[in-house]
Amino acid sequence: MAATLGDSSSWSTALVKISPYTFSAVGIAIAIGVSVLGAAWGIYITGSSLIGAAIKAPRITSKNLISETAPTREVLSTLSQRPHSFVQQKVPHIVIFCEAVAIYGVIVAIILQTKLESVPSSQIYEPETLRAGYAIFASGIIVGFANLVCGLCVGIIGSSCALSDAQNSSLFVKILVIEIFGSALGLFGVIVGIIMSAQATWPAKSV
Amino acid sequence: MASTFSGDETAPFFGFLGAAAALVFSCMGAAYGTAKSGVGVASMGVMRPELVMKSIVPVVMAGVLGIYGLIIAVIISTGINPKAKSYYLFDGYAHLSSGLACGLAGLSAGMAIGIVGDAGVRANAQIELLLGYLRITICLGLKDECILRIIIVFYPLN
Repeated sequence: MAATLGDSSSWSTALVKISPYTFSAVGIAIAIGVSVLGAAWGIYITGSSLIGAAIKAPRITSKNLISETAPTREVLSTLSQRPHSFVQQKVPHIVIFCEAVAIYGVIVAIILQTKLESVPSSQIYEPETLRAGYAIFASGIIVGFANLVCGLCVGIIGSSCALSDAQNSSLFVKILVIEIFGSALGLFGVIVGIIMSAQATWPAKSV
Repeated sequence: MASTFSGDETAPFFGFLGAAAALVFSCMGAAYGTAKSGVGVASMGVMRPELVMKSIVPVVMAGVLGIYGLIIAVIISTGINPKAKSYYLFDGYAHLSSGLACGLAGLSAGMAIGIVGDAGVRANAQIELLLGYLRITICLGLKDECILRIIIVFYPLN
């Protein structure tokens, strides 16, 4: 068994005693929890600006809202009963970028949890098992926090996109280009998370 | 298994955290830069829609920071292989420091690109100072690239 460097290094002695399954579970939870937090944060930033601007320019809700879900369809139908709004369910744009962030988190969390293998209790604190636990933990942190900042970024840009679209409808597509750059950040997180999860190799069971 | 795995047990923890820091902090910087410049572009575009496509430069520069973080994170995480090459605490700490260096440099460059880009695009709408703020944003991006190259040079020392 490889020896840790000296007893004075308290990080090592503390870390060796924590089960790798703790790290893995926390990593998977962070992957999905923090990603969804980012998506929700982005959606509410965009949504509040969008709904506020739509008071004077109701046409912007048709391009910017996603709504294939039932509750939103109801909201839109009640809006369309008002005399001068032209709400039609056309191509959704802005909110989909925020929602994609949550979907990335779900995908990576599912991939990470399929990487978990059970190991007999005599082998839990072997170096290889510890490394697998650390890999899943780091992968979860990467995906979670990258998606958090991506969701925030896309939300802020989406809100300014809605506001500028309300003034000048030719701006919508141009600002959408900026939003595509923003949503690439979540994709980077997913790529690195999946590459790192390939390092999570548990030791073969020795009976 | 113990014979094929050489090195310290907890060293991969610091190595993987280094890769995580590289990507997460660079993405934070890229997100700040993209969002802040994007808001500036959208505000400016209301008055001068024809300048919007020319003002995408700070957004692109900020996006590139995310790519730098991705490169370093992948290099670090594929370098942690205790079975092929022994991985001591030294290597773990080296990876942690290079990841933190790249990530925090990306964070700072991204924040600077955001603020400069925001002010630059708004000023560009009033006076045609295109070259001025472009040079600043490009310098900020290059600063981060220099740090990236230093890290790649230090890497073979492990």
